[in-house]
Amino acid sequence: MTAVIEARNLSRWYGNVLGISEVTLDIEPGITALLGPNGAGKSTFMKIVTGQLKPNIGQVRIFGQKVWNNREIFWRLGFCPEVDSFYEGLNGLEFLTGLLGLYGFSAPEIQSRAWRALELVELKEVARRPIKSYSRGMRQRIKIAQALAHDPEVLVLDEPLSGLDPLSKRRIIKLIKELRNAGKTIVVSSHVLPEVEAMTSEIVLIHQGKILARGDLHFIRELLDQHPHMIRIKSPHYRELARQLATEDYILNITFEPENSAVTFETHQRDRFFDRLNQLVLESDCRIEEITSPDDNLQAVFDYLVGK
Amino acid sequence: MVGEPMSIELDRIHFSYGQVKALNGVSLRIHGGAIGLLGPNGAGKSTLLKIMLGFLAPDQGSGKVLGYDIKSEQKLIRQAVGYMPEDECYIPGLDAVSFTAYLGELSGMPRQEAMKRAHEVLFYVGLGEARYRLVDTYSSGMRQRLKLAQALVHDPKLLFLDEPTSNLDPSGRQEILELIGEIASVRGISVLLSSHILSDIEAICDQVVILNRGEVAASGSLADLKMVNYRLYELKVKGELDGFRRELEAKACRLEETEDKIIKIFTPPDFDSMEIFRAAARHKLQVRQFVPSQTSLEELFARVVGVD
Amino acid sequence: MTTIREKGYHHWDGQFKENFRPSWPIMRAGIKLAFQRKKFKPLFAASFIPAFAYAAGIYISERLEDFKSMGSGLEKFLQINPAFFKSYLTLDFTYFMILLLMSVGGAGLIADDFRHKAIQLYFARPLEKKDYLLGKAGVVAFFVGCLTLLPALILFILKLLFSGSFRLLVEYPWLILSIILFSALVMLFFTAFVLLCSSLTNNRNQAIALMFSLYFLSSILSGVLFLIFRSPYALLLSLKVNLDQVAAGFFLVKPSHDLPWYLSFLVLLAFAAFSYFLVRKKVRSVEVIK
Repeated sequence: MTAVIEARNLSRWYGNVLGISEVTLDIEPGITALLGPNGAGKSTFMKIVTGQLKPNIGQVRIFGQKVWNNREIFWRLGFCPEVDSFYEGLNGLEFLTGLLGLYGFSAPEIQSRAWRALELVELKEVARRPIKSYSRGMRQRIKIAQALAHDPEVLVLDEPLSGLDPLSKRRIIKLIKELRNAGKTIVVSSHVLPEVEAMTSEIVLIHQGKILARGDLHFIRELLDQHPHMIRIKSPHYRELARQLATEDYILNITFEPENSAVTFETHQRDRFFDRLNQLVLESDCRIEEITSPDDNLQAVFDYLVGK
Repeated sequence: MVGEPMSIELDRIHFSYGQVKALNGVSLRIHGGAIGLLGPNGAGKSTLLKIMLGFLAPDQGSGKVLGYDIKSEQKLIRQAVGYMPEDECYIPGLDAVSFTAYLGELSGMPRQEAMKRAHEVLFYVGLGEARYRLVDTYSSGMRQRLKLAQALVHDPKLLFLDEPTSNLDPSGRQEILELIGEIASVRGISVLLSSHILSDIEAICDQVVILNRGEVAASGSLADLKMVNYRLYELKVKGELDGFRRELEAKACRLEETEDKIIKIFTPPDFDSMEIFRAAARHKLQVRQFVPSQTSLEELFARVVGVD
Repeated sequence: MTTIREKGYHHWDGQFKENFRPSWPIMRAGIKLAFQRKKFKPLFAASFIPAFAYAAGIYISERLEDFKSMGSGLEKFLQINPAFFKSYLTLDFTYFMILLLMSVGGAGLIADDFRHKAIQLYFARPLEKKDYLLGKAGVVAFFVGCLTLLPALILFILKLLFSGSFRLLVEYPWLILSIILFSALVMLFFTAFVLLCSSLTNNRNQAIALMFSLYFLSSILSGVLFLIFRSPYALLLSLKVNLDQVAAGFFLVKPSHDLPWYLSFLVLLAFAAFSYFLVRKKVRSVEVIK
């Protein structure tokens, strides 16, 4: 699949301060999560990709076309910024139709697109109320609406879920997934990693201006084999399990949780671990209630890579 | 727990802002612990909080917080409650120690006590090294900790946290959550956490109160509310599924594969879950994750708030 | 007996204060923050120049023979009487310095709390709005008092010391009361004025602009209206004139304008009351929990 967004050797600094350095990246259709600590370069990268900032070195192309100073590309690109700045006097509908007007749609199309966007973010009832009367969640949703209204093929969403209550988050995540199913390319940035995980496992991790990791989360986790895997087993016979496994050389560490009847094993070699576990299931009477991998999640991968 | 006063006791609280009814007969009885407060925007959460923390008197109904009456002993409530607001708030020109001690004094602590305690509490939240610096120079993660410090300086019995992880990057979130988790387990302090981030609530709280349209839609311990379904298991596996699948289907189980590569197994009543493991072991399939299905907090929320 | 202090959270086993007055810490904090600002200390020091000048005047007045060489006009000039004190307490310079000092150290008293959302932190505490306002008012009153009440009283005492007699006290027994009461009025006025400007905005620079413009515009406006209508009542608009008039009244001196001084007094009180209600309203309208 050809990449939709192609970034080559992007570097950007602000005087002495480094924004990003030598960022080369391909982003394909689907949902890609852009992550990083504060000041890592995420917003610089997003601004360059959406044509708001020119890189000092390198270039980025979307659909093979360059982004900087290319008005044509903005038809196909939608951006939902983190910051809140609106013309407060406008109502939701006016805000959207105003923006749509800039794209050169015909008047009836503007109306239908605006209403459709409002419907997608469930703001139809309050479309005619002024934005300054909107709650924080509504403001967030109208921002998302403006990113979608012109039906772009590429969406860059900076913290799209912030300020939303759990139900709205769920709906927006559902919306984003539907957009992905429709073939769009979506780049999402968020600080709340569990919420990111609900959307995708394709991640790009930026740290200190460079790309620290890129790819499927679980695959990255596998590759991080300097960092042993943790496997937590909940069982009434947790100590017996521990006893049986303690002698194995691929077990690096055993931690008990007596209050939960659980034990966590650390190992470099999961295959051997799970094969042995299968044997134990057949050989012994140990009951197993639960098996989880506490660090096979985005937060753990993030923490390890960013280095706490 | 017998003999210990209830943290929060509310009896049929009503409150209206003019014509708008914000709270419609809210009753709660909460012992100590860590309580999560959830609800869609506009559900009446902030009104309930104002009443609980002694800023507002209800139109009807009565209650006690930490044993103090919510109508007649509001100042005593505020002295015993620590509040960590959502917004960034500080007093420029003061260093962290002076800031924290000042607020301690404003809670009624004698000056020297406030000073001593300020140092202690700043060390506890991890700002020990930076405590003589001006708060203007603090990063957002540090300011968050400072907010926590000022909420703890007067040793409150109830700590109220409003979206404590908002605006923090993933490392910052993790650190604050760990700190809050620690505080939640301190004897003598109850924690009330209001957040839209369900994973935070799940990480910290053992009870939840879900508010909707001015009424309590659900309340109780998380464990009770999130019913475990012992007839549905969610697995992640590695290996060939066919033999495993056939064996289980022969035993009247139903298997489903979801898009996240999770295998859902629906078992008949009285089915021994160990059969799943044995079937896996026999077919050389590694079971890398095994969890009896539980309503997630998100599903609980959606069901209780009654949409979708 | 070995004891080990455990890691982790420790409860506080102290006691809260019995008679807890939250206004004091607020006042202290405001004063401390004012002094911390650059330029405040030099400005503050400079504001005492008139006090030193007047003190010198008192010294000279006692040693007139020594200074005869400076000319005979001095004797008339340096009468130490109520007018002398009135003049000290109504100096344009002093009021201007008060404005400057309050720009640096007072404009942000409430404005900064709005801007940095510190109001939430205050009102989550067991204090009432009146405690908060009293504490903030105390800051202004303190500085104004330092420039009015304090020097005036010291000048009074200096005169007694230098003259070596209680003549001043005997001649004008009510003078001390006038000094105290008028200073109190000035303190009240500026407290109302500064807090009003500080509470109307969340930007301390705007508060400063408001303070200066209000003060000077009032004079300008009253001057313009006076020219147009030729009525002395136009002068009631000028804050400075009002203060001047009341001073004349308190010190039993002929007022500079053809207006009964108690009218000015009423205007000032009305202003203070108006400011009080407005400030209360502004602070109430801030939500502690959204």
